[in-house]
Amino acid sequence: MSAILLIVVPLLAAFISILFKKASPYILLIVSFASVIVLGYIELEVITIGGFASPYGINLVFDQYSLIGLYIVNTLFFLVVAINCVKFKEMSTILLIALAGLNGLLLTGDLFNLFVFIEISGIAAYLITATNKNPLATFNYLVAGTVGSSLYLVGLIILYAMFGTLNMADMANEIAVSGVDASLVAFPFLLMFIGLGVEAKLLPFNSWVKGILASSNKLTGPIIASVYAATIGFVVGRLLTSVFVFSDTLGLVITIILLASIIAGEAMAFSSNKVREILLFSSIAQAGLVVLVFLQGFIGWGVFLVVANAAGKFILFTVTNHASDELGTDEVNDLKGLFVNNKIVGLAFTVASLSAIGLPVFLGFVVKMNILGDLFAEGNLFIPAVILITSVVEGIYFVRLLIKLWYKEHDLPVVQYDFIIKYVVVILAILIMVFGVYTAPIETEANDLDLISFVEGGNL
Amino acid sequence: MLQYVAIVLIMLGLYGLLTQRNIIKIIVSLNILEIGVNLFIVSVGFVDGGLAPIFTSTYNSSVDFSFVDPLPQALVLTAIVIGVGTTALGLALAKNIYQKYGTFEIDEMGEE
Repeated sequence: MSAILLIVVPLLAAFISILFKKASPYILLIVSFASVIVLGYIELEVITIGGFASPYGINLVFDQYSLIGLYIVNTLFFLVVAINCVKFKEMSTILLIALAGLNGLLLTGDLFNLFVFIEISGIAAYLITATNKNPLATFNYLVAGTVGSSLYLVGLIILYAMFGTLNMADMANEIAVSGVDASLVAFPFLLMFIGLGVEAKLLPFNSWVKGILASSNKLTGPIIASVYAATIGFVVGRLLTSVFVFSDTLGLVITIILLASIIAGEAMAFSSNKVREILLFSSIAQAGLVVLVFLQGFIGWGVFLVVANAAGKFILFTVTNHASDELGTDEVNDLKGLFVNNKIVGLAFTVASLSAIGLPVFLGFVVKMNILGDLFAEGNLFIPAVILITSVVEGIYFVRLLIKLWYKEHDLPVVQYDFIIKYVVVILAILIMVFGVYTAPIETEANDLDLISFVEGGNL
Repeated sequence: MLQYVAIVLIMLGLYGLLTQRNIIKIIVSLNILEIGVNLFIVSVGFVDGGLAPIFTSTYNSSVDFSFVDPLPQALVLTAIVIGVGTTALGLALAKNIYQKYGTFEIDEMGEE
Protein backbone atom coordinates (compact mmCIF):
# COMPACT_ATOMS: atom_id res chain seq x y z
CA MET A 1 0.00 0.00 0.00
CA SER A 2 1.15 3.46 -0.74
CA ALA A 3 0.92 6.50 1.51
CA ILE A 4 -0.72 8.49 -1.29
CA LEU A 5 -3.95 6.67 -0.41
CA LEU A 6 -4.08 8.77 2.76
CA ILE A 7 -4.73 11.82 0.55
CA VAL A 8 -6.62 10.27 -2.33
CA VAL A 9 -9.15 8.18 -0.43
CA PRO A 10 -10.53 11.05 1.72
CA LEU A 11 -10.80 13.24 -1.41
CA LEU A 12 -12.64 10.52 -3.31
CA ALA A 13 -14.85 9.87 -0.30
CA ALA A 14 -15.63 13.59 -0.12
CA PHE A 15 -17.05 13.47 -3.66
CA ILE A 16 -18.95 10.24 -2.96
CA SER A 17 -20.40 11.72 0.24
CA ILE A 18 -22.04 14.48 -1.82
CA LEU A 19 -23.92 11.83 -3.81
CA PHE A 20 -25.02 9.90 -0.72
CA LYS A 21 -25.92 12.67 1.71
CA LYS A 22 -27.58 10.37 4.26
CA ALA A 23 -24.60 8.05 4.51
CA SER A 24 -22.01 10.83 4.65
CA PRO A 25 -21.37 10.75 8.44
CA TYR A 26 -20.70 7.01 8.23
CA ILE A 27 -18.40 7.45 5.22
CA LEU A 28 -16.49 10.06 7.23
CA LEU A 29 -16.28 7.80 10.27
CA ILE A 30 -15.11 4.79 8.25
CA VAL A 31 -12.54 6.73 6.20
CA SER A 32 -11.03 8.51 9.20
CA PHE A 33 -10.83 5.25 11.16
CA ALA A 34 -9.30 3.44 8.18
CA SER A 35 -6.65 6.18 7.85
CA VAL A 36 -5.44 5.39 11.36
CA ILE A 37 -5.43 1.62 10.86
CA VAL A 38 -3.81 1.72 7.42
CA LEU A 39 -0.79 3.61 8.80
CA GLY A 40 0.45 0.37 10.36
CA TYR A 41 0.58 -1.34 6.97
CA ILE A 42 2.43 1.24 4.89
CA GLU A 43 6.15 0.92 4.41
CA LEU A 44 8.37 3.95 4.89
CA GLU A 45 9.27 5.27 1.45
CA VAL A 46 9.50 8.31 -0.77
CA ILE A 47 6.71 8.31 -3.33
CA THR A 48 7.32 9.83 -6.74
CA ILE A 49 4.17 11.22 -8.30
CA GLY A 50 3.50 11.13 -12.03
CA GLY A 51 6.77 9.37 -12.89
CA PHE A 52 8.97 12.47 -12.73
CA ALA A 53 12.02 11.93 -10.54
CA SER A 54 12.36 13.90 -7.37
CA PRO A 55 13.73 17.40 -8.03
CA TYR A 56 11.48 17.83 -11.11
CA GLY A 57 8.32 16.11 -9.99
CA ILE A 58 6.39 16.30 -6.74
CA ASN A 59 7.29 13.71 -4.14
CA LEU A 60 5.67 12.64 -0.89
CA VAL A 61 8.03 11.86 1.98
CA PHE A 62 6.70 9.13 4.24
CA ASP A 63 9.47 8.88 6.82
CA GLN A 64 9.70 8.39 10.59
CA TYR A 65 8.88 12.06 11.18
CA SER A 66 5.74 12.19 9.06
CA LEU A 67 4.68 8.77 10.40
CA ILE A 68 4.47 10.14 13.97
CA GLY A 69 2.66 13.22 12.69
CA LEU A 70 0.17 11.14 10.72
CA TYR A 71 -0.54 8.85 13.68
CA ILE A 72 -1.23 11.78 16.02
CA VAL A 73 -3.24 13.88 13.56
CA ASN A 74 -5.32 11.00 12.19
CA THR A 75 -6.05 9.58 15.63
CA LEU A 76 -7.15 12.94 17.06
CA PHE A 77 -9.13 13.66 13.90
CA PHE A 78 -10.94 10.34 14.25
CA LEU A 79 -11.74 11.09 17.91
CA VAL A 80 -13.13 14.55 17.02
CA VAL A 81 -15.24 12.97 14.30
CA ALA A 82 -16.44 10.20 16.59
CA ILE A 83 -17.67 12.77 19.11
CA ASN A 84 -19.28 15.10 16.56
CA CYS A 85 -20.39 13.16 13.49
CA VAL A 86 -24.01 12.90 14.62
CA LYS A 87 -24.45 16.54 15.59
CA PHE A 88 -22.63 18.06 12.60
CA LYS A 89 -23.93 15.81 9.77
CA GLU A 90 -23.70 18.57 7.17
CA MET A 91 -19.96 19.06 7.78
CA SER A 92 -19.01 15.49 6.74
CA THR A 93 -17.86 16.37 3.21
CA ILE A 94 -15.81 19.32 4.43
CA LEU A 95 -14.22 17.26 7.20
CA LEU A 96 -13.15 14.67 4.61
CA ILE A 97 -11.49 17.40 2.55
CA ALA A 98 -9.83 18.72 5.70
CA LEU A 99 -8.46 15.21 6.38
CA ALA A 100 -7.01 15.03 2.86
CA GLY A 101 -5.43 18.46 3.26
CA LEU A 102 -3.94 17.69 6.67
CA ASN A 103 -2.46 14.37 5.53
CA GLY A 104 -1.05 16.15 2.48
CA LEU A 105 0.57 18.82 4.64
CA LEU A 106 2.33 16.16 6.68
CA LEU A 107 3.42 14.09 3.68
CA THR A 108 4.46 16.53 1.00
CA GLY A 109 8.10 17.05 0.12
CA ASP A 110 7.50 19.96 -2.23
CA LEU A 111 7.18 23.60 -1.22
CA PHE A 112 4.54 24.58 -3.79
CA ASN A 113 2.55 21.44 -3.07
CA LEU A 114 2.69 22.53 0.57
CA PHE A 115 1.06 25.84 -0.42
CA VAL A 116 -1.73 23.96 -2.20
CA PHE A 117 -2.37 21.78 0.85
CA ILE A 118 -2.27 24.83 3.15
CA GLU A 119 -5.04 26.32 1.01
CA ILE A 120 -7.08 23.08 0.86
CA SER A 121 -6.95 22.58 4.61
CA GLY A 122 -7.39 26.33 5.11
CA ILE A 123 -10.57 26.56 3.04
CA ALA A 124 -11.90 23.51 4.87
CA ALA A 125 -11.04 25.21 8.18
CA TYR A 126 -12.92 28.40 7.20
CA LEU A 127 -15.97 26.32 6.38
CA ILE A 128 -15.71 24.30 9.60
CA THR A 129 -15.43 27.47 11.69
CA ALA A 130 -18.56 28.79 9.98
CA THR A 131 -20.46 26.49 12.38
CA ASN A 132 -19.49 28.91 15.17
CA LYS A 133 -22.30 31.16 13.88
CA ASN A 134 -19.88 34.07 14.05
CA PRO A 135 -19.37 34.92 10.34
CA LEU A 136 -17.32 38.05 11.06
CA ALA A 137 -14.66 36.05 12.92
CA THR A 138 -14.61 33.47 10.13
CA PHE A 139 -14.20 36.26 7.60
CA ASN A 140 -11.24 37.66 9.56
CA TYR A 141 -9.72 34.18 9.60
CA LEU A 142 -10.21 33.91 5.82
CA VAL A 143 -8.56 37.28 5.16
CA ALA A 144 -5.64 36.55 7.49
CA GLY A 145 -5.16 33.06 6.07
CA THR A 146 -5.30 34.22 2.45
CA VAL A 147 -2.86 37.10 2.97
CA GLY A 148 -0.55 34.75 4.85
CA SER A 149 -0.52 32.14 2.12
CA SER A 150 -0.07 34.83 -0.56
CA LEU A 151 3.04 36.07 1.27
CA TYR A 152 4.24 32.46 1.54
CA LEU A 153 3.79 32.14 -2.23
CA VAL A 154 5.76 35.35 -2.95
CA GLY A 155 8.61 34.15 -0.72
CA LEU A 156 8.54 30.75 -2.41
CA ILE A 157 8.69 32.25 -5.89
CA ILE A 158 11.66 34.44 -4.95
CA LEU A 159 13.43 31.30 -3.75
CA TYR A 160 12.48 29.52 -6.98
CA ALA A 161 13.92 32.38 -9.03
CA MET A 162 17.14 32.19 -6.99
CA PHE A 163 17.67 28.44 -6.85
CA GLY A 164 15.47 26.97 -9.60
CA THR A 165 13.85 24.26 -7.49
CA LEU A 166 10.72 23.72 -5.44
CA ASN A 167 11.62 20.44 -3.79
CA MET A 168 12.31 20.83 -0.07
CA ALA A 169 15.34 18.56 0.13
CA ASP A 170 16.75 19.88 -3.13
CA MET A 171 16.18 23.47 -1.99
CA ALA A 172 18.05 22.86 1.28
CA ASN A 173 20.85 21.24 -0.71
CA GLU A 174 21.03 24.05 -3.29
CA ILE A 175 21.16 26.73 -0.59
CA ALA A 176 23.99 24.90 1.17
CA VAL A 177 25.95 24.23 -2.04
CA SER A 178 25.56 27.68 -3.57
CA GLY A 179 26.96 29.32 -0.44
CA VAL A 180 24.60 32.28 -0.83
CA ASP A 181 24.95 34.91 1.86
CA ALA A 182 22.35 34.37 4.58
CA SER A 183 21.15 37.96 4.31
CA LEU A 184 20.05 37.35 0.70
CA VAL A 185 17.69 34.52 1.58
CA ALA A 186 16.48 36.24 4.76
CA PHE A 187 13.70 38.13 2.98
CA PRO A 188 12.02 35.18 1.22
CA PHE A 189 12.39 33.08 4.39
CA LEU A 190 10.75 35.82 6.41
CA LEU A 191 7.83 36.04 3.95
CA MET A 192 7.32 32.26 4.12
CA PHE A 193 7.67 32.30 7.89
CA ILE A 194 4.95 34.97 8.12
CA GLY A 195 2.71 32.87 5.91
CA LEU A 196 3.14 29.83 8.16
CA GLY A 197 2.99 32.06 11.26
CA VAL A 198 -0.61 33.00 10.46
CA GLU A 199 -1.65 29.35 10.58
CA ALA A 200 0.67 28.57 13.49
CA LYS A 201 -0.90 31.32 15.65
CA LEU A 202 2.34 33.27 16.19
CA LEU A 203 2.10 36.65 17.84
CA PRO A 204 1.70 39.48 15.32
CA PHE A 205 -0.35 37.39 12.89
CA ASN A 206 -2.83 35.71 15.21
CA SER A 207 -5.61 38.25 15.52
CA TRP A 208 -8.04 35.72 14.05
CA VAL A 209 -7.54 33.18 16.86
CA LYS A 210 -9.55 35.03 19.48
CA GLY A 211 -12.62 35.41 17.29
CA ILE A 212 -12.55 31.78 16.20
CA LEU A 213 -11.73 29.95 19.42
CA ALA A 214 -13.59 32.24 21.85
CA SER A 215 -16.86 31.35 20.10
CA SER A 216 -15.86 27.79 19.24
CA ASN A 217 -18.13 24.79 19.71
CA LYS A 218 -17.52 21.11 20.37
CA LEU A 219 -16.32 20.57 16.78
CA THR A 220 -14.28 23.68 15.98
CA GLY A 221 -12.45 23.96 19.32
CA PRO A 222 -10.70 20.57 19.24
CA ILE A 223 -10.21 20.66 15.45
CA ILE A 224 -8.54 24.09 15.28
CA ALA A 225 -6.72 24.07 18.63
CA SER A 226 -5.60 20.46 18.55
CA VAL A 227 -5.65 18.81 15.11
CA TYR A 228 -4.73 21.82 12.94
CA ALA A 229 -2.25 23.12 15.53
CA ALA A 230 -0.47 19.75 15.61
CA THR A 231 -0.28 19.57 11.81
CA ILE A 232 1.11 23.09 11.42
CA GLY A 233 3.53 22.32 14.27
CA PHE A 234 4.90 19.36 12.35
CA VAL A 235 5.13 21.37 9.09
CA VAL A 236 6.93 24.29 10.75
CA GLY A 237 9.21 21.82 12.50
CA ARG A 238 10.23 20.18 9.24
CA LEU A 239 10.83 23.48 7.45
CA LEU A 240 12.70 25.16 10.32
CA THR A 241 14.99 22.25 11.08
CA SER A 242 15.64 20.94 7.59
CA VAL A 243 15.01 23.54 4.89
CA PHE A 244 15.37 27.08 6.17
CA VAL A 245 18.74 28.21 7.41
CA PHE A 246 18.20 31.29 9.52
CA SER A 247 21.18 33.56 9.90
CA ASP A 248 22.18 34.55 13.44
CA THR A 249 20.58 37.99 13.32
CA LEU A 250 17.31 36.84 11.78
CA GLY A 251 17.24 33.88 14.16
CA LEU A 252 17.68 36.25 17.10
CA VAL A 253 14.89 38.56 15.89
CA ILE A 254 12.51 35.62 15.46
CA THR A 255 13.50 34.19 18.85
CA ILE A 256 12.63 37.49 20.52
CA ILE A 257 9.28 37.68 18.69
CA LEU A 258 8.51 34.11 19.79
CA LEU A 259 9.43 34.85 23.41
CA ALA A 260 7.16 37.91 23.28
CA SER A 261 4.45 35.65 21.84
CA ILE A 262 4.83 33.22 24.75
CA ILE A 263 4.82 35.93 27.43
CA ALA A 264 1.89 37.82 25.88
CA GLY A 265 -0.13 34.61 25.50
CA GLU A 266 0.38 33.57 29.12
CA ALA A 267 -0.32 37.10 30.38
CA MET A 268 -3.57 37.33 28.42
CA ALA A 269 -4.61 33.89 29.66
CA PHE A 270 -3.84 34.98 33.22
CA SER A 271 -6.13 38.02 32.94
CA SER A 272 -9.07 36.24 31.24
CA ASN A 273 -12.31 35.39 32.98
CA LYS A 274 -13.69 33.08 30.32
CA VAL A 275 -12.66 29.45 30.16
CA ARG A 276 -12.38 29.33 26.37
CA GLU A 277 -10.28 32.52 26.32
CA ILE A 278 -7.92 31.12 28.96
CA LEU A 279 -7.45 28.00 26.85
CA LEU A 280 -7.00 29.87 23.56
CA PHE A 281 -4.39 32.27 24.93
CA SER A 282 -2.62 29.35 26.52
CA SER A 283 -2.57 27.62 23.14
CA ILE A 284 -1.09 30.76 21.53
CA ALA A 285 1.72 30.64 24.09
CA GLN A 286 2.24 26.92 23.47
CA ALA A 287 2.38 27.49 19.70
CA GLY A 288 5.14 30.06 20.25
CA LEU A 289 7.01 27.58 22.44
CA VAL A 290 6.74 24.83 19.80
CA VAL A 291 8.22 27.04 17.07
CA LEU A 292 10.92 28.26 19.48
CA VAL A 293 11.97 24.71 20.31
CA PHE A 294 12.18 23.79 16.62
CA LEU A 295 14.11 26.99 15.92
CA GLN A 296 16.69 25.91 18.50
CA GLY A 297 17.05 22.69 16.52
CA PHE A 298 15.53 20.17 18.95
CA ILE A 299 13.54 17.98 16.58
CA GLY A 300 12.78 15.03 18.86
CA TRP A 301 11.49 16.91 21.87
CA GLY A 302 9.80 19.49 19.65
CA VAL A 303 7.76 16.67 18.13
CA PHE A 304 6.72 15.40 21.55
CA LEU A 305 5.86 18.93 22.70
CA VAL A 306 3.47 19.11 19.73
CA VAL A 307 2.05 15.71 20.66
CA ALA A 308 1.60 16.61 24.35
CA ASN A 309 -0.06 19.91 23.42
CA ALA A 310 -2.38 18.32 20.90
CA ALA A 311 -3.56 15.64 23.32
CA GLY A 312 -3.94 18.11 26.20
CA LYS A 313 -5.76 20.79 24.22
CA PHE A 314 -8.08 18.13 22.78
CA ILE A 315 -9.26 17.18 26.28
CA LEU A 316 -9.48 20.78 27.53
CA PHE A 317 -11.43 22.12 24.56
CA THR A 318 -13.75 19.11 24.28
CA VAL A 319 -14.72 19.30 27.95
CA THR A 320 -15.08 23.10 28.06
CA ASN A 321 -16.88 23.50 24.76
CA HIS A 322 -19.39 20.78 25.56
CA ALA A 323 -20.21 22.56 28.81
CA SER A 324 -20.44 25.98 27.19
CA ASP A 325 -22.57 24.60 24.33
CA GLU A 326 -25.03 23.22 26.89
CA LEU A 327 -25.05 26.23 29.22
CA GLY A 328 -24.63 28.97 26.62
CA THR A 329 -21.86 30.68 28.60
CA ASP A 330 -18.19 30.16 29.30
CA GLU A 331 -17.65 32.62 32.16
CA VAL A 332 -15.58 30.89 34.84
CA ASN A 333 -18.07 32.02 37.50
CA ASP A 334 -21.02 30.45 35.66
CA LEU A 335 -19.18 27.17 35.29
CA LYS A 336 -18.20 26.98 38.98
CA GLY A 337 -18.67 23.50 40.37
CA LEU A 338 -18.90 21.93 36.90
CA PHE A 339 -16.92 18.86 37.92
CA VAL A 340 -18.71 18.13 41.19
CA ASN A 341 -21.19 15.91 39.36
CA ASN A 342 -18.84 15.02 36.50
CA LYS A 343 -15.91 13.63 38.40
CA ILE A 344 -14.48 11.42 35.65
CA VAL A 345 -14.44 14.19 33.05
CA GLY A 346 -13.10 16.54 35.72
CA LEU A 347 -10.20 14.20 36.45
CA ALA A 348 -9.28 14.05 32.75
CA PHE A 349 -9.46 17.86 32.54
CA THR A 350 -7.22 18.12 35.60
CA VAL A 351 -4.67 15.71 34.13
CA ALA A 352 -4.57 17.67 30.86
CA SER A 353 -4.12 21.04 32.55
CA LEU A 354 -1.48 19.79 34.98
CA SER A 355 0.38 18.26 32.04
CA ALA A 356 0.20 21.62 30.23
CA ILE A 357 1.79 23.30 33.25
CA GLY A 358 4.48 20.61 33.29
CA LEU A 359 4.04 18.91 36.65
CA PRO A 360 5.77 15.56 37.21
CA VAL A 361 4.02 12.23 36.43
CA PHE A 362 2.53 13.79 33.27
CA LEU A 363 3.78 13.83 29.68
CA GLY A 364 4.20 17.61 29.65
CA PHE A 365 6.77 17.36 32.43
CA VAL A 366 8.98 14.87 30.60
CA VAL A 367 8.95 17.03 27.47
CA LYS A 368 9.58 20.35 29.23
CA MET A 369 12.31 18.93 31.45
CA ASN A 370 14.23 17.48 28.51
CA ILE A 371 13.90 20.70 26.50
CA LEU A 372 15.17 22.73 29.46
CA GLY A 373 17.99 20.23 30.04
CA ASP A 374 19.08 20.49 26.38
CA LEU A 375 18.95 24.29 26.52
CA PHE A 376 21.02 24.38 29.71
CA ALA A 377 23.52 21.97 28.15
CA GLU A 378 23.98 24.47 25.33
CA GLY A 379 24.72 27.18 27.89
CA ASN A 380 21.56 29.05 26.99
CA LEU A 381 20.07 30.64 30.13
CA PHE A 382 17.70 33.32 28.86
CA ILE A 383 15.20 31.07 27.05
CA PRO A 384 14.90 28.55 29.95
CA ALA A 385 14.30 31.48 32.31
CA VAL A 386 11.38 32.71 30.18
CA ILE A 387 9.98 29.17 29.85
CA LEU A 388 10.17 28.59 33.63
CA ILE A 389 8.61 31.96 34.55
CA THR A 390 5.76 31.49 32.08
CA SER A 391 5.24 27.96 33.44
CA VAL A 392 4.70 29.48 36.88
CA VAL A 393 2.15 31.94 35.46
CA GLU A 394 0.49 29.04 33.64
CA GLY A 395 0.43 27.10 36.90
CA ILE A 396 -1.30 29.94 38.72
CA TYR A 397 -4.14 30.43 36.26
CA PHE A 398 -4.72 26.73 35.61
CA VAL A 399 -4.83 25.90 39.33
CA ARG A 400 -7.13 28.89 39.93
CA LEU A 401 -9.39 27.62 37.15
CA LEU A 402 -9.35 24.06 38.50
CA ILE A 403 -10.25 25.16 42.04
CA LYS A 404 -13.24 27.11 40.72
CA LEU A 405 -14.41 24.25 38.53
CA TRP A 406 -14.12 21.65 41.32
CA TYR A 407 -15.54 23.42 44.39
CA LYS A 408 -19.05 24.75 44.91
CA GLU A 409 -21.69 23.69 47.38
CA HIS A 410 -25.05 24.42 45.72
CA ASP A 411 -26.57 25.76 42.47
CA LEU A 412 -24.35 23.42 40.49
CA PRO A 413 -24.44 23.80 36.69
CA VAL A 414 -26.17 20.84 35.08
CA VAL A 415 -24.12 19.39 32.24
CA GLN A 416 -24.43 15.82 30.98
CA TYR A 417 -21.44 14.34 29.18
CA ASP A 418 -22.21 11.51 26.76
CA PHE A 419 -20.54 8.18 27.14
CA ILE A 420 -18.30 8.72 24.12
CA ILE A 421 -16.82 12.00 25.39
CA LYS A 422 -16.08 10.43 28.76
CA TYR A 423 -14.48 7.43 27.14
CA VAL A 424 -12.28 9.46 24.76
CA VAL A 425 -11.02 12.03 27.27
CA VAL A 426 -10.29 9.39 29.90
CA ILE A 427 -8.27 7.27 27.47
CA LEU A 428 -6.27 10.32 26.38
CA ALA A 429 -5.71 11.35 30.01
CA ILE A 430 -4.49 7.86 30.88
CA LEU A 431 -2.10 7.94 27.93
CA ILE A 432 -0.73 11.31 29.11
CA MET A 433 -0.09 9.79 32.53
CA VAL A 434 1.35 6.50 31.25
CA PHE A 435 3.90 8.21 29.03
CA GLY A 436 4.65 10.66 31.81
CA VAL A 437 5.94 7.77 33.91
CA TYR A 438 7.09 5.21 31.35
CA THR A 439 9.43 7.51 29.44
CA ALA A 440 11.78 5.00 27.79
CA PRO A 441 9.97 4.71 24.41
CA ILE A 442 9.62 8.49 24.07
CA GLU A 443 13.27 9.09 24.84
CA THR A 444 14.43 6.52 22.28
CA GLU A 445 12.10 7.96 19.65
CA ALA A 446 13.19 11.54 20.37
CA ASN A 447 16.85 10.57 20.06
CA ASP A 448 16.12 8.80 16.77
CA LEU A 449 14.36 11.87 15.43
CA ASP A 450 17.25 14.12 16.45
CA LEU A 451 19.41 12.20 13.99
CA ILE A 452 17.01 13.07 11.18
CA SER A 453 18.67 14.46 8.12
CA PHE A 454 16.18 15.59 5.57
CA VAL A 455 18.24 14.80 2.52
CA GLU A 456 16.63 13.44 -0.59
CA GLY A 457 14.71 10.42 0.56
CA GLY A 458 14.02 11.69 4.07
CA ASN A 459 14.73 9.80 7.25
CA LEU A 460 13.61 6.31 6.36
CA MET B 1 9.75 45.88 -15.34
CA LEU B 2 6.71 43.67 -14.87
CA GLN B 3 7.92 42.81 -11.37
CA TYR B 4 7.57 46.42 -10.25
CA VAL B 5 3.97 46.56 -11.47
CA ALA B 6 3.27 43.34 -9.60
CA ILE B 7 4.86 44.64 -6.40
CA VAL B 8 2.87 47.88 -6.67
CA LEU B 9 -0.32 45.80 -6.99
CA ILE B 10 0.63 43.68 -3.96
CA MET B 11 1.28 46.83 -1.91
CA LEU B 12 -2.00 48.36 -3.13
CA GLY B 13 -3.84 45.23 -2.02
CA LEU B 14 -2.19 45.29 1.41
CA TYR B 15 -2.98 49.00 1.77
CA GLY B 16 -6.61 48.30 0.94
CA LEU B 17 -6.77 45.46 3.46
CA LEU B 18 -5.36 47.65 6.21
CA THR B 19 -7.49 50.76 5.56
CA GLN B 20 -10.87 49.56 4.27
CA ARG B 21 -13.63 48.74 6.76
CA ASN B 22 -16.18 47.44 4.26
CA ILE B 23 -16.45 43.67 3.74
CA ILE B 24 -16.82 43.88 -0.05
CA LYS B 25 -13.95 46.35 -0.38
CA ILE B 26 -11.78 44.01 1.70
CA ILE B 27 -12.58 41.17 -0.70
CA VAL B 28 -11.70 43.42 -3.66
CA SER B 29 -8.39 44.32 -1.97
CA LEU B 30 -7.71 40.64 -1.43
CA ASN B 31 -8.24 40.07 -5.15
CA ILE B 32 -5.89 42.90 -6.09
CA LEU B 33 -3.27 41.36 -3.80
CA GLU B 34 -3.74 37.96 -5.42
CA ILE B 35 -3.52 39.40 -8.95
CA GLY B 36 -0.28 41.11 -7.95
CA VAL B 37 1.10 37.82 -6.63
CA ASN B 38 0.05 35.98 -9.79
CA LEU B 39 1.66 38.60 -12.05
CA PHE B 40 4.81 38.38 -9.96
CA ILE B 41 4.93 34.62 -10.41
CA VAL B 42 4.50 34.86 -14.19
CA SER B 43 7.11 37.61 -14.45
CA VAL B 44 9.69 35.35 -12.80
CA GLY B 45 9.49 32.90 -15.71
CA PHE B 46 9.65 35.58 -18.43
CA VAL B 47 12.59 35.49 -20.82
CA ASP B 48 13.18 38.43 -23.15
CA GLY B 49 12.38 37.28 -26.68
CA GLY B 50 11.37 33.83 -25.42
CA LEU B 51 8.89 31.54 -27.14
CA ALA B 52 5.83 29.83 -25.74
CA PRO B 53 7.15 26.60 -24.21
CA ILE B 54 5.57 24.22 -26.75
CA PHE B 55 7.43 21.83 -29.03
CA THR B 56 6.00 22.32 -32.53
CA SER B 57 6.98 20.98 -35.96
CA THR B 58 8.58 24.35 -36.80
CA TYR B 59 10.74 24.29 -33.69
CA ASN B 60 14.38 24.00 -34.62
CA SER B 61 16.73 23.35 -31.74
CA SER B 62 19.82 24.30 -33.80
CA VAL B 63 18.60 27.90 -34.03
CA ASP B 64 18.99 29.49 -30.62
CA PHE B 65 15.42 29.84 -29.52
CA SER B 66 14.88 30.16 -25.80
CA PHE B 67 11.65 29.15 -24.15
CA VAL B 68 10.04 31.06 -21.32
CA ASP B 69 9.93 29.05 -18.08
CA PRO B 70 6.71 26.98 -18.14
CA LEU B 71 6.75 26.08 -14.44
CA PRO B 72 5.61 29.48 -13.07
CA GLN B 73 2.75 29.40 -15.58
CA ALA B 74 1.64 26.07 -14.18
CA LEU B 75 1.96 27.40 -10.64
CA VAL B 76 -0.04 30.52 -11.44
CA LEU B 77 -2.85 28.41 -12.87
CA THR B 78 -3.16 26.64 -9.52
CA ALA B 79 -2.92 29.91 -7.60
CA ILE B 80 -5.68 31.49 -9.71
CA VAL B 81 -8.03 28.58 -9.07
CA ILE B 82 -7.35 28.73 -5.33
CA GLY B 83 -7.89 32.51 -5.40
CA VAL B 84 -11.27 32.11 -7.08
CA GLY B 85 -12.29 29.55 -4.46
CA THR B 86 -11.28 31.85 -1.62
CA THR B 87 -13.13 34.79 -3.18
CA ALA B 88 -16.29 32.75 -3.59
CA LEU B 89 -16.08 31.64 0.03
CA GLY B 90 -15.45 35.23 1.15
CA LEU B 91 -18.52 36.44 -0.73
CA ALA B 92 -20.62 33.65 0.81
CA LEU B 93 -19.45 34.76 4.25
CA ALA B 94 -20.21 38.38 3.30
CA LYS B 95 -23.79 37.31 2.58
CA ASN B 96 -23.99 35.62 6.00
CA ILE B 97 -22.58 38.72 7.67
CA TYR B 98 -25.14 40.91 5.90
CA GLN B 99 -27.97 38.64 7.00
CA LYS B 100 -26.79 38.77 10.61
CA TYR B 101 -25.94 42.47 10.93
CA GLY B 102 -27.77 44.15 8.02
CA THR B 103 -24.65 46.04 6.93
CA PHE B 104 -21.30 45.55 5.21
CA GLU B 105 -19.52 48.18 7.31
CA ILE B 106 -17.47 46.53 10.08
CA ASP B 107 -17.69 49.68 12.23
CA GLU B 108 -21.49 49.55 12.26
CA MET B 109 -21.69 45.96 13.47
CA GLY B 110 -21.17 46.81 17.11
CA GLU B 111 -18.56 44.10 17.63
CA GLU B 112 -14.81 44.27 18.00
